[in-house]
Amino acid sequence: MIDITRYDDREIRCPKLGNEVAFAYCRREGGELPCQRVIRCWEDFFPVESFLRDILSPEAWAAFQGQTPPDKLASLLDLAAKARKRRGG
Amino acid sequence: MEPIKVLLEDQEIPRQWYNIQADLPTPMRPPLHPATGEPVRPDDLAPIFPMNLIEQEVSTQRWIDIPEAVLEKYLLWRPSPLYRARNFEKLLDAPVKIFYKNEGVSPAGSHKPNTAVPQAYYNKAFGVERLSTETGAGQWGSALSMACQMFGLECRVFMVRVSYDQKPYRRMMMSVWGAECIPSPSDITEAGRNVLAEHPDSPGSLGIAISEAIEDAVTHPGSRYSLGSVLNHVLLHQTIIGLESQKQFAKIGLYPDVVLGCAGGGSNFAGVSLPYVRDRIHGKEVRIVGAEPTACPTLTRGPFAYDFGDLAKKTPLLPMYTLGHDYVPAPIHAGGLRYHGMAPIVSHLLKENLIEARAYHQLDTFQAGIMWARSEGFIPAPETNHVIAAVVDEARRAKEEGKERVILFNWSGHGLVDLASYEAYLTGKLIPHELPDEEIARALRAIEGFPKP
Repeated sequence: MIDITRYDDREIRCPKLGNEVAFAYCRREGGELPCQRVIRCWEDFFPVESFLRDILSPEAWAAFQGQTPPDKLASLLDLAAKARKRRGG
Repeated sequence: MEPIKVLLEDQEIPRQWYNIQADLPTPMRPPLHPATGEPVRPDDLAPIFPMNLIEQEVSTQRWIDIPEAVLEKYLLWRPSPLYRARNFEKLLDAPVKIFYKNEGVSPAGSHKPNTAVPQAYYNKAFGVERLSTETGAGQWGSALSMACQMFGLECRVFMVRVSYDQKPYRRMMMSVWGAECIPSPSDITEAGRNVLAEHPDSPGSLGIAISEAIEDAVTHPGSRYSLGSVLNHVLLHQTIIGLESQKQFAKIGLYPDVVLGCAGGGSNFAGVSLPYVRDRIHGKEVRIVGAEPTACPTLTRGPFAYDFGDLAKKTPLLPMYTLGHDYVPAPIHAGGLRYHGMAPIVSHLLKENLIEARAYHQLDTFQAGIMWARSEGFIPAPETNHVIAAVVDEARRAKEEGKERVILFNWSGHGLVDLASYEAYLTGKLIPHELPDEEIARALRAIEGFPKP
C-alpha cells in the first residue's frame, strides 16, 4: 500500500506563485490532479514521476498527461462566461 | 574611478513603447474563442478589459505613445539605471562586460509597475472605477495596488491562500497602498464558495484565484480585470526597459552581444529583449536568451565516467558525470518556454528561432544569486537568480571560447521580501535526491566498455 502523503512535507520554491510550497500543495494544485509543472519541479528531489504513476488511477494519470495549456485570452473568456452563468447573468 | 552607472535624465525617457507585432516575420495566430472556435474579436474582451487596452492587445502599430500621465508616474523611478557589474565581472574572471537594468528601484521593488501604472491609467481613462486581479506571492498584486492608488481606482486582489499565509509583507504593502487583499478561495465569489464547499481547507491555486478575480470583475458594474503578464499589451508596456537600455548603451558607445532575461510569464524577459529582437530581425548580430527554471537531472547525479558529450557520439570521449549520452528527457520535462503560462509572443519568437531558451536548476540559480549578492551587494529576487545563472553560464562560455562579450540582462527585482527562500537554500532544505538504482544501472549500461577515468 503506497502512502500518498509520503513526500507531502518536502518544500520547494513554486515558480508560479513565487514562494515555498510543500509537495502536498503540488500534488493537488489542479483540484483532483497535480500541478502541470509538478514533474519538472520535483524530479530532481525524488522519483516524482513514478510516484505519481503509482498514486494516480490510470484515468487520472492520462488526464494529467493530456492537459494542454489553453491560450490565455481564450481561458479568460471561458472563465468570464462561466462566472456569468454561475451568477445567472 | 571607473563609472558604474549609465543614467538618463528625466527628459530622456522614451516617449513610446515598442510593439514587436509590427516586425514579426510571420504574424501570430489569433487566439480562438472557446465558445465559437472563431478568432477572438475586441468586443468579446470588452467585459474583461477596457477598450483602450484591448486596442493595444490587438495592435500591429510599431510605436505606441506613452501618455503624459503615465510618464509622470514612471519618472518616480524611471529611467532605471543601467549598471555595470564590475565586481561580478572580477569574480567570474571572464572576458565579459556585464550590464544590467536595475528594475528593483521601483517603489514595489520589481519591473511589474511598468505595466501596472499604464493599466490603471487606461482603465481610469475609460471610466472604470475598480480593478480586480489575482496574485501568487504578491509581486503583481502589490504593483497594481500602488498603481490603482495613483489613479484613484479601487483595487481588489485575490491572493492564493497558501501565499497569503506565508508571505505577509506583500499583502501588507497592498494594504498600505489602499487595496483590498483577499485570501483565495474566498466566500465572496461563487467560484470560491464552490471550492470551499468541497475542500474547506483548500490552500488555493492561481487557477482558483483567477476565476475569482474574473467573476468579481464581470459581475460588478464599473469593474474590470487586470493581468500582470503573458498578454501582448503587458509586454508592450515592459519594452520601456529595453528602450531605455538602448539609449544608455548609445551614450557609452556600446551594444550588447547577448541580451538575457528570466522567463516566468515572459513580461520581464520581453521587456528587456523585444527592442533587441527588432534589431535582430533587421540584421543586427545579437543573441537573445530566456532563462527559465527546471529540475531536469543535472549530469552531476550520474556516475563519473568517460562518455560522449552528445547523442550523436560526435565528441571525443570525455571524463564527466553522465546519465549516459543516450539520456533524453521526456517531453513533459522539456518545456523550453512552451509551458503553461508563457506569453504567446515569447513562444512565437522561440518558434521563429529569434530567441533561445535555457533552463537552470534552482540550486544553481540560488548559488548564482548568492555570488551576486556577495559581490554586487543587491539581493536579487529568486526569479532574477535564473538570469544571473544564465549570465554566469554566458561568461563561462566566453572564457572557454576566448571571445570578448558585452552582456545585458534584466535585474527584474530585489529579493528583500523573499528572504525565506534564501534561508531554505542556505539551510540545505533544497537537497537533490539520489538517482534511482535503475536509472544509474541504465546509465552504466550506456557507457559499458568505455575506458574508466
